[in-house]
Amino acid sequence: MIVYIIVALMFFTGLYGIIAKKNIIKIIVGINIVGYASNLLFILLGYKWGGIAPIITEDMTAVYFIEKAVDPLPQALVLTSIVIDLAFVAFLAALAIRLFERYGTFDMDKIRRLKG
Amino acid sequence: MSHLIILPVAIYLGAAFLIALLYKKDEKLAGVAAISFVLLSAIASIISGIDVFTNGKILYFAGGWERPLGIVLMLDPLSSIFHIMTNIIAFFVILYSTVYMKKYTWTPYFYTLFMIMLAGMNGILISMDIFNIYVFFEVASIASFILVAFGLRAEELEASMKYTVMSFIASTMILFAIALIYGFTGTLNIPAFMSETSGLSPVHLWFIAGLLFSGFALKTALVPFHTWLPDAHSMAPAPVSAILSGMFIKVVGLYVLIRITANIFIVLPQIRILLLLFGALSMVFGGLMAYGQKNIKRLYAYSTISQVGYCAVGLGIGGYLGSLGVLMHFIAHALSKSLLFLNIGAIEYINGTTEAEQLQGLNDSMPATTLFGSTGMLGIAGVPPMGNFWSKLIIIIAAVKAGYTGIAVLCIIVAVITLGYFLKLQRTVYYKKVENPVKKEAPKMLLFPMGCLALLVFISGILLVPGIKDKTLDKAVSVMENFSYMDIKIGENR
Repeated sequence: MIVYIIVALMFFTGLYGIIAKKNIIKIIVGINIVGYASNLLFILLGYKWGGIAPIITEDMTAVYFIEKAVDPLPQALVLTSIVIDLAFVAFLAALAIRLFERYGTFDMDKIRRLKG
Repeated sequence: MSHLIILPVAIYLGAAFLIALLYKKDEKLAGVAAISFVLLSAIASIISGIDVFTNGKILYFAGGWERPLGIVLMLDPLSSIFHIMTNIIAFFVILYSTVYMKKYTWTPYFYTLFMIMLAGMNGILISMDIFNIYVFFEVASIASFILVAFGLRAEELEASMKYTVMSFIASTMILFAIALIYGFTGTLNIPAFMSETSGLSPVHLWFIAGLLFSGFALKTALVPFHTWLPDAHSMAPAPVSAILSGMFIKVVGLYVLIRITANIFIVLPQIRILLLLFGALSMVFGGLMAYGQKNIKRLYAYSTISQVGYCAVGLGIGGYLGSLGVLMHFIAHALSKSLLFLNIGAIEYINGTTEAEQLQGLNDSMPATTLFGSTGMLGIAGVPPMGNFWSKLIIIIAAVKAGYTGIAVLCIIVAVITLGYFLKLQRTVYYKKVENPVKKEAPKMLLFPMGCLALLVFISGILLVPGIKDKTLDKAVSVMENFSYMDIKIGENR
């Protein structure tokens, strides 16, 4: 149970970073943390305490395997979602550099030409 | 034959890399290649659409893995309508952008990103697996962030920044919902999850539904979640705005919302009330904000919020008439809004501005552009022969029949507001008399796609003629009322 609370804590820490912080770099860090939280949740859903890797060896019965093996599907899904997070962060970092060139600041309060 | 349904995705993904590799020096060849690839997949989508409408849905098993294990892809009448519309509008937009994008540098990369976005949009439409939808959703979204910032001006970067951060929150919510769906039911397949929903506890069900709903409502830009849309859609290059406003938010947002409300969470009819509430808010707020805009592109963006509100209201009312209204409104609005964004792009191409005050009396200098622009405006405002009039009428009748008289009155009021701001715009920008006008019409390659779209807007009401409606829209509505593919035997694909 405690690990799920940690996931929630991570999620809200990241969300706080995205919503409350004004510095673009801090927002990007927040995005990173939120991404890790969702990946961690995925892994935890498929994990069994004391589980083994989902590979059948010769001395293993099917019942033992089903009871003990960790669900491999969430891990496959997490690989995809890590790549998506990477794309987000890489794009945002590039965008932050360009924004700094144009506005001379990382402060979202000063980057505010669009209104109405 | 069933391979045809994955062909558009394959073509677009292949085209993206081919253009980036082979034609990155030659802008002209890149444009020709892009046009021919989009034309190919438009033809593929139309052929598979005709097949779906005559013979019913097609299943496709990715990698040949059968149903309980593998990833299922499916094209049914509902997704087929979105599929055909996406590819047709994309074809006109890419024709237009071959000329329009000349003022930008690095246009081959524009085509690459555009193809990746189209691949994502087509992928969402054929997926029957919720994680697959998420992946294609991100493919389309990330390409669209870059396309919004393509011009690299300060405002465009700012708009893209807002759009990206908001979208990230949406996609996190969706990912959390997917994780919970997998944790509670052990499946990611939409029909399999649908049959499990009645077994879940209400708290879990509401949590999942709430996360999914707010994630996709953010991408549809329903009103509490709309803040990114006016910036992103008004700052993007005109062809990108046209596809974003015309198709992207409908495929990425509305289509998935339709699946969520009508197909997945049948046990939670309260979601429809939420949709009614958010839809009515979007309608009124978007309409009122559009009325006060000085920048024409921004006005169109707010008008999109308002019109998507109509779709959400129709979806919230539900039933035969509500569902029919959603589909018809989506088709008519997609055509006319992409026409309008292409139109303002052509005006910007010649005059260099999109501010309403600096553009006066264009009828004398650009008669053809004016004609197409007014067709689009009257189309969205809902002037009788065009599709939007009938769709609004259907939604209003549906609201009255379902007992939501207040919503029906709101729909009428917003329709009048819409007509109001478009007539105001027309009177000054298009039909004001100016002294010694100079004739400077837009290039033919910009006029041709607009003309085709204007023609389609004009005849879009034809879809409601009884003989045609039975074969197309009614079949899609029946998917919205009753959906499953479990009646198909394992090992067969239709």
